[in-house]
Amino acid sequence: MTLLLQALINGLMTGALIAVPAVGFSAIFAVLRYPNFAIASYATIGAFAAWWANVVLGLPIIPALVIAFAIAGTVGVVAEESALSRLRGNGALIVAIASIALNLVLENIIRFFFGNDMRGYDLPLMRDMRFGDLRIGPQQLQSLALAVVIMAAMFAFLRYTRFGKAMRAVADNPDLARLKGIDPARIAIVTVFLGAGLTGVGGVLIGLDTSIDPLTGYRVLLSVFAAAVLGGLGSIPGAVVGALALGIAEELALIAVPATYRTAVGFIAILIMLTFRPRGILGERAV
Amino acid sequence: MTPLLTVTGLKLDFYGVHVLRGVDLAVPAGSFTGLIGPNGAGKSTLFNAVSGLYRPKGGTVALGSSDATGLPPEELVAAGLVRTFQLARGFPKLSVFQHLMLYGADQPGENLLAGLFGSAAARRREAELAGRAFDIARRLKLDHVLDNPVTALSGGQKKLVEIGRALMARPKILLLDEPMAGVNPSLADEIAEHLVGLNREGLTICLIEHDMALIKRLCEPVVVMAEGKTLTQGSFEEVAADIRVQEAYLGRRH
Repeated sequence: MTLLLQALINGLMTGALIAVPAVGFSAIFAVLRYPNFAIASYATIGAFAAWWANVVLGLPIIPALVIAFAIAGTVGVVAEESALSRLRGNGALIVAIASIALNLVLENIIRFFFGNDMRGYDLPLMRDMRFGDLRIGPQQLQSLALAVVIMAAMFAFLRYTRFGKAMRAVADNPDLARLKGIDPARIAIVTVFLGAGLTGVGGVLIGLDTSIDPLTGYRVLLSVFAAAVLGGLGSIPGAVVGALALGIAEELALIAVPATYRTAVGFIAILIMLTFRPRGILGERAV
Repeated sequence: MTPLLTVTGLKLDFYGVHVLRGVDLAVPAGSFTGLIGPNGAGKSTLFNAVSGLYRPKGGTVALGSSDATGLPPEELVAAGLVRTFQLARGFPKLSVFQHLMLYGADQPGENLLAGLFGSAAARRREAELAGRAFDIARRLKLDHVLDNPVTALSGGQKKLVEIGRALMARPKILLLDEPMAGVNPSLADEIAEHLVGLNREGLTICLIEHDMALIKRLCEPVVVMAEGKTLTQGSFEEVAADIRVQEAYLGRRH
């Protein structure tokens, strides 16, 4: 029983961390209609930007997150406009493959500057909190709280601001939105900035838990993608639900199988979903 | 008299494929012009280029006597050129009423301050637009589904919402892309009657349609497109008798 509860708690925590980049990934997919695999390096870039702000400049974690958001968002927009945007007319598959190439390039640029070493954030060590037999790390709790706040802000932005509404309009029906004077190209840039920025923040939150290296983003790419597919590609609430479901599924699987099989859970989740419900839990149409 | 819409030598290509290769089209004011042609002739692409969604590679578009080539879509809408889409998807999360309100001209709520605080003028305009939306809904027999999301409507009702949305923008000319396609016959007939009524009240219509019986009944003149060009134009009987039109549809005789 304790084992199960502990797995549920851990699953919710890892799920919440995956949810942040998954929301970024899904937002980009919703508006631009292609899966951007370069988000792996955006997450890593965010993680390194925050590390630099936190360890080199000595800033606390919240300003470091803001810097991570801004830098990952900017890199995302520059990469999109210079490398991917001109391929958009050729179909989603071409852009998706190009984004994998872009990811390799960006990942190696990080390596060039920071090397392959693992780095950790400058955070106080804290003892786990115990509730009976259950253990919760204060650091994880803080990350969870940050993830919740960030996602709430994103939802509020999409729901209540004019820009958020314009983004949803373009995602739903770009041609009809244009008749109303919404310029999809401008919306695309803002979406990529937000999506890449969120992914960068997600990279930091994941790094806070352990350490960071140039493969930090790449290691969670499959989970992020699986979460988005599970929830329904392009659905932002879906990405959150998918991430939580995946996080719990991964942790529960660990009870039965060795930890090395953990990534298999993502693959299996994608397989099951695409077989039985291709549009995902909250998706509106099949992709 | 200058036609309401004049397209001259319009060219457009996608990645080297010439989709429009010099289209000429004149839609006389007050007419119910039919645009026909085999699949792939470029009819919908012509609508997309004329309504500002695609940027033409060459040629001109004029509304009345003023040049409208390459204007952004929302300015064309403001100038009175409004189009509907073949796939009437709409915005899946909005209701029929919201669709109609969204495309009313001069929305006061679009101004940030007025939207936040609401001015007397904004409220008046909003009420005016709501009144118009009710009138249009009643006319198109959509009044009983006003609060339903568009996703809950039948294919034919979605097409009616498309037309209603277009009417909210106070069009001078309406470009209709197959508004009756895939709709059950009785509702298709009803849509046709609505269009005839609107045309009689002075609205200029340009209609893409594959059903020749409908074209024959509704349209004069009829313009025929094939392979990215205008082939010919005239009354339905003239066009139907044209050997080039028969060849375009059925293939050349050997």
